[in-house]
Amino acid sequence: MTTATSVVEKLRARIGVPGQPIQAAVEAGHLKRFADAIGDPNPRWLAEAPPTFLVAIAPTSIHLREAEEYGQGWLNGGNRFEHVEPVKVGDVITATAKVADVYEKSGSSGTLLFIVFETEYTNQHGKTVARLRGTAIRR
Amino acid sequence: MKVQVGDELPELIKHPTTRQLVQYAGAQGDFYEIHYDQDYARSVGLPGVILHGLLKAAFLGQLVTDWLGDEGRLKTFEVSYRGLDVPGRPYTCRGKVTKVDGHEVELEVWGEDPDGNRTTIGKATAAI
Repeated sequence: MTTATSVVEKLRARIGVPGQPIQAAVEAGHLKRFADAIGDPNPRWLAEAPPTFLVAIAPTSIHLREAEEYGQGWLNGGNRFEHVEPVKVGDVITATAKVADVYEKSGSSGTLLFIVFETEYTNQHGKTVARLRGTAIRR
Repeated sequence: MKVQVGDELPELIKHPTTRQLVQYAGAQGDFYEIHYDQDYARSVGLPGVILHGLLKAAFLGQLVTDWLGDEGRLKTFEVSYRGLDVPGRPYTCRGKVTKVDGHEVELEVWGEDPDGNRTTIGKATAAI
């Protein structure tokens, strides 16, 4: 049987290890579907990525199957976006994610597991366009 | 743009529906069942399907970019999800200016449920 402690230990061993980079082009149709889905009619988003769009071209977290042995479900604790350069239609973005931290915390509904992910996004010119930090919670 | 500490951003009221959650799941590529499958959501102890945290972040992003206009540039944007929101209940985005330093501004932003609970809180920095 897998214990909560061993799950935490396995995840902690992943800290700082970069995941496989994911590459995707920013497509006009995808931008439009995203802007429609968030209900933002600003015509600017036909050619440029709105503030949270990058989460849609590459996963915000590395899928960690081990973490799913802990608790019954995922919650999103928070996200921090740092925008360095605008992201435009036609850009080819490479996202590289890693686990930055793993820890347990006691809350009112029991113990929770926090996994902090960091993703760096670069464009086709090798420039960093954005960074994202996200906290996924297993409850 | 003339901006002072204490200025409030024009509020943005969103009316999320289950249809929008499905639309967002597809656009983001997040197919976690708690956002569209009522039975699944209840089976993991939720009241039913809930809004994606990142959808609420996108709403708050719109609040800020609407206020900034095309000339402004959003530099950092962070949100912390403090409560659950369900479709069918309006979600109100608000914000205010907390610091002004030349063209650099800092903002406090938050999303409220209809009972006035701040279920998402956040901060942003921008160049105006």
